[in-house]
Amino acid sequence: MSALWAIITATDPDIRNRSLDSFCEHASTSDLIAEAGDLEARRHSSDSLYDRVRALFFLYAIHRFHLPMRPESATSRSHIPYAGVERLLNRRYEEAISIFLAAQSAHGLGDGISSALASAYRGLAFQTLADQVRRSVRSVRGNQWMFRTGHPSDYALRLRRELLPSALGQPAPILHEATPVRMDLSHSGWSDIFFLGMDLPEGARVLNVSINLALHDTQSPKPPVEAYLRVIDRPVIRLVSVDLDASVEIRELQEIFDFGRDYLGLLKAAVIASGIVPAGLEGSDQPLADLLRQLTQREGLGLEIVSHVNNIPKGSRLAVSTNLLASLISVCMRATGQAASLTGQLAEPERRLVAARAILGEWLGGSGGGWQDSGGVWPGIKLIEGVRAMEGDIEFGISRGRLLPNHRILSSDEVTLKTRQHLQDSLVLVHGGMAQDVGPILEMVTERYLLRSAKEWAARREAGEILDEIIDELRRGDVGAIGRATQRNFDGPLQEIIPWASNLYTETLIREVRAKFGSAFWGFWMLGGMSGGGMGFIFDPVRKPEAQNALGPMMREVSQRLAGGVPFAMQPVVYDFSINENGTFAELLSGESAVLPDGYYNLMLPALLRKEQRTLSVNERADLERFSFRCHAASGAQERTRTFLNRLLPQAQNGNDRAETLQSLLHQYGFDPLQHERIQTELRAGQIGLAQNRLPASVTIEDVAPDQVFDATRGSDAKLRKLGEEALASGSVAVVTLAGGAGSRWTHGAGVVKGLSPFCRLAGKHRTFLEVHLAKSRRTSRAYNSPVPHIVTTSYLTHDPTDKLLKLENNYGYTGPLYLSPSRSVGLRMIPMVRDLRFAWESVPQQILDAQAQKVRDSSRAALISWAQQCGEGSDYTDNLPLQCLHPVGHWYEVPNIFRNGVLRNLLEAQPNLRYLMVHNVDTVGADLDAQILGRHISTGATMTVEVMTRRIEDRGGGLASVDGRARLVEGLALPSEDTEFRLSYYNSNTCWLSIDALLGVFGLTRADLADERKVADAVRALSARVPTYITIKDVKKRWGEGQEDIFPVTQFEKLWVDMTALAQMNCDYVLVRRMRGQQLKEPAQLDGWLRDGSADYVTGLCDFPD
Amino acid sequence: MQIRKAVITAAGPGQRTLPMQLLIDQQGSECSVLSLVVREASRAGINDVCIVVSPGDEEPYSKLVTQDSVRLTFIPQRDPRGYAHAVFCAREFVGDEPFLHFVGDHIYVGPESGGSARRLIDAATTAGCSISTVQITRENLLPYFGAIGGQPVQGKPGFYRIDTVLEKPTPTEAEQSLIVPGLRSGQYLCFYGMHVLTPAIFEILAELLSDSAQKRPSLSSALAILAQREQYLAMIHKGQRFDVGVKYGLFSAQLALAMHGRDRDKVLTEIIQVLATREQSEGSGQ
Repeated sequence: MSALWAIITATDPDIRNRSLDSFCEHASTSDLIAEAGDLEARRHSSDSLYDRVRALFFLYAIHRFHLPMRPESATSRSHIPYAGVERLLNRRYEEAISIFLAAQSAHGLGDGISSALASAYRGLAFQTLADQVRRSVRSVRGNQWMFRTGHPSDYALRLRRELLPSALGQPAPILHEATPVRMDLSHSGWSDIFFLGMDLPEGARVLNVSINLALHDTQSPKPPVEAYLRVIDRPVIRLVSVDLDASVEIRELQEIFDFGRDYLGLLKAAVIASGIVPAGLEGSDQPLADLLRQLTQREGLGLEIVSHVNNIPKGSRLAVSTNLLASLISVCMRATGQAASLTGQLAEPERRLVAARAILGEWLGGSGGGWQDSGGVWPGIKLIEGVRAMEGDIEFGISRGRLLPNHRILSSDEVTLKTRQHLQDSLVLVHGGMAQDVGPILEMVTERYLLRSAKEWAARREAGEILDEIIDELRRGDVGAIGRATQRNFDGPLQEIIPWASNLYTETLIREVRAKFGSAFWGFWMLGGMSGGGMGFIFDPVRKPEAQNALGPMMREVSQRLAGGVPFAMQPVVYDFSINENGTFAELLSGESAVLPDGYYNLMLPALLRKEQRTLSVNERADLERFSFRCHAASGAQERTRTFLNRLLPQAQNGNDRAETLQSLLHQYGFDPLQHERIQTELRAGQIGLAQNRLPASVTIEDVAPDQVFDATRGSDAKLRKLGEEALASGSVAVVTLAGGAGSRWTHGAGVVKGLSPFCRLAGKHRTFLEVHLAKSRRTSRAYNSPVPHIVTTSYLTHDPTDKLLKLENNYGYTGPLYLSPSRSVGLRMIPMVRDLRFAWESVPQQILDAQAQKVRDSSRAALISWAQQCGEGSDYTDNLPLQCLHPVGHWYEVPNIFRNGVLRNLLEAQPNLRYLMVHNVDTVGADLDAQILGRHISTGATMTVEVMTRRIEDRGGGLASVDGRARLVEGLALPSEDTEFRLSYYNSNTCWLSIDALLGVFGLTRADLADERKVADAVRALSARVPTYITIKDVKKRWGEGQEDIFPVTQFEKLWVDMTALAQMNCDYVLVRRMRGQQLKEPAQLDGWLRDGSADYVTGLCDFPD
Repeated sequence: MQIRKAVITAAGPGQRTLPMQLLIDQQGSECSVLSLVVREASRAGINDVCIVVSPGDEEPYSKLVTQDSVRLTFIPQRDPRGYAHAVFCAREFVGDEPFLHFVGDHIYVGPESGGSARRLIDAATTAGCSISTVQITRENLLPYFGAIGGQPVQGKPGFYRIDTVLEKPTPTEAEQSLIVPGLRSGQYLCFYGMHVLTPAIFEILAELLSDSAQKRPSLSSALAILAQREQYLAMIHKGQRFDVGVKYGLFSAQLALAMHGRDRDKVLTEIIQVLATREQSEGSGQ
């Protein structure tokens, strides 16, 4: 048996908990290959979920972190077989692995093939886990029948009679469910991830509290999540989300299964997961009315289900959506007799079933929550613990633990009422305003847990000890000690397990709170997957009211300061909260008290008012009468009436404001309306578009020959280095950092300045991208005793925030010449053409998602296609914040902008010796003024030297190719077919070295011409006409409501610098660099691997931070 | 254990005419529903039958029953508190003996020569405990019946030791609580409507009926308690039962009786004629 398989299957925890890293450190490359081969063979033979998944993660890590570091594979040119890539995109992981392994056997180790294997193993590992969770949830007793009910005549649920109208012509009573949300009093160290609970039940423990909530100083806290159900006099299922301001009337069964087409996916998932529309009916093509007849045992009746979340924004880390799902499932189960009590609390087995069904609902809706998230269903404070799978459990023999944990409610003897009050008097709950995607964090936790690196494993144990300590302190009633423990947990184990749990915003807040409140601040407490959203600050009760009032302004001030680089979805808010001792709780509202929330009437009544009075149904008339009564007599009548009138009357003012602001911005940033109109016409006429971006199929595209690339990764050439060093010492080189981008992949279109994002903690502090680049220039300046001029190019979006932050941070201590180069052009986004959307989504191979998530994506894409048709394909995109309607026009313009805006002229005047520029992307953090590469650039006399890397599977977007015999860079958009890309060995790092005079020559300019603005502008325009214009589809976020975000695809155009390599006058040279140097950080999900593969240390080594 | 008495409940409000409906029995004679029901008890060797009726129905019902061998006792249910209460009304009639019980609006048609009740009584006599007949039923019919969960009795195929009884459970409850090894998923053991019960049931019913929280306790909830107090078995029955109170119930019962009776060929011929005529008229219409 191999050593790694022995670790995986060991029963002795000391062996079982050994880390992969500790083994790999001492293993030779051939040992590693042999171990990987053995794991690959054995993983198929095991029935144990844990064995299989841990083997997959070991294989992933070997290929991601260990083999690529071995000299044998570092710069190999082995290609990734496209057939494998296709399988990978289609989630056919096993086939992909076979193809990649065959390629590895045939051609030997390689960085590229290892990256492909790593990706496939990782994908398969998560797929295996997801499949197991799904299987377990479907197999829970009480859920199985829903999957085999395939026809309304198989249907066995009946609505409780109490919910039917008492007499003909009377409106039905309303069943109302109020559910608290949950907070995790200890932070569980993410042990509530399903797989951790199923693999290490003894270590999966969470202290979970159900709470009522209200925005500070608005009203007294109440259960923030509410669900309503009533019978209506039409055979439909009407779903209404008051907080999302959306409603739908479902007439066909199939519509219930269409999750992505509107905002009501969660309600639909609840209707299915509660069994009202059993999952087995999907695709049955049966009339919904038949099912409703069975359900109500009457003709012509239907159901209305309403959800309402009281002012709790998205991303609160309080599991609002899971508890809303649980609340909806609970109300539906009560209504159909699946819970014994129609009203009041649920019994324990019913709570467990609601929790299981909430997991099912989340899977149906394509989302995922934690194992403790439905904690709001239970009352008060409870310890949730993993449970070992015993004989009879469906998990027995598959995993060590059960899917569903046990909930032990802590009685008032264990945690006294006084302590509970003390806790409420000490804790300030807030939403910091950041809304981030926690998904990658949860994947990182699973991955790290299975790889068991020593420090993280120790941290996990420490987090468990802190939980015990918190439980003890709760019993003792010492809230101060709890605060100290949660702070220690955050500073220590949590960040040791996941460094990305913290961020600059949170740390700044903690620092400022500590400075203001000193010893009265007892500790910080992180909620959920990461900080920045829902958070807790624990204070001495004497100072709590003051702290509660101070935190709002403090968070607003800090968030405004950091807003340039940190994505904030909303204004920070402070809550009032109280512990909820009921859990989910229902009451039956009948007669006069059978009313829905005001927001419901605001949403639904305007349509009724437009109907002929005589055509109103009994229900509709009753709704109007009730609301009318509430507008006259009930408390809050005036406010209610005003809100309703606002809703009824058109609000034209804001729209005009927006249009004016957009117009002024376009004017201010140099928008070219003639060019826009031309592009719009060509786009609509089909002359340009995604398909037209591509080079004609008749062009021959091949991989470059080895001698066309200079390998800078092997050893050091003293002669070249000396040449470079001399240039550096003589002040001949400047750095140009391209920082005009909004980092659309970094924040999924949130519109922040990527360069200002405090992306990672380096040398003890969170650093922004710009800070890192300036620290490298500082180091080079010191090393060569010659200040390096540093130019930061900016765009309409990034200029002001960049300027402001650099001033605030005193240029991050950089004392050399620093120039901002503002852009001179901007585009206006357009509604995409349907053919381009179809091309992007249907013709271009792309990653298929997990079955249910893919279904959701497909339906939301269908909705986006209708959106584009309704708004007018190719028309201006203006329905968003003005800045979100503009777009940068591609980084081709950024270098010519230096000519146009006078930055280069000023620089040359100040430093006439300047001859070279190193241009790099803001996210290529490893790029520095390397003397050897500079020497190579000087020695070849090239106009431009481009740095390339060997291709990994995630490197999409073109690369270095021989096009009709000439080496040049080809953008991914221009490649005629997808498989071409994987035949190209080298990927463009987007770092290039330019000889200033030669480049000016290509533009037809000299240094002296830079003073002639018009001549420069003409030269730039003339050359730009020779560079292709690409049409691209980008995601843009539109924010609304309480932290809600929609993502829309929009069309924009861009010109890219890589196309300069296609110009005959450009003398280009290509240099192969190490990945650590050339890696671009496009998505936060890359950060963990980047940190762990040594890249972060490499970059830190290049920097000289002033602090 | 000797079973000498039977209790038939026929006190359902709104269904008071059902026992009076006339059917043609297997021998081709016209008789009332109630008469057929009482005959089932009589075939099982029971001579002492109590019928629980709505007040005022004693006289009309007494004229319907033609079996001379059976001694009939009518007990009016003065307080309409449901089915379980109707059974309870027969407490004094039953006394301290086990008894056969079934409802007055169901017709039982089975392959057994002695009738369904005969087989049940034989089984109860041998086992010496309460037994209910059950049928394997698909889950979509759960809203209509009481259902049981239990374990098979070793060496007695078709018999189960009852652990749980639920009245009209949801499929969710059924899947969680009514576990019966050997059944296919989505199938449950539901009551066939015929029981032999020990007098212990009356103590339980008394407790339930005196509980003010329970306005109309079900017989199933009493049977669930019975299962906790003493041995209580279920026996799978392969016959058919027809609820004459539902849509086409009377028609289906008549059809079943005819198919098992002397006039089978005659009735079949008439059905075929009806079908053929319909086919012809459809054909000519085209």
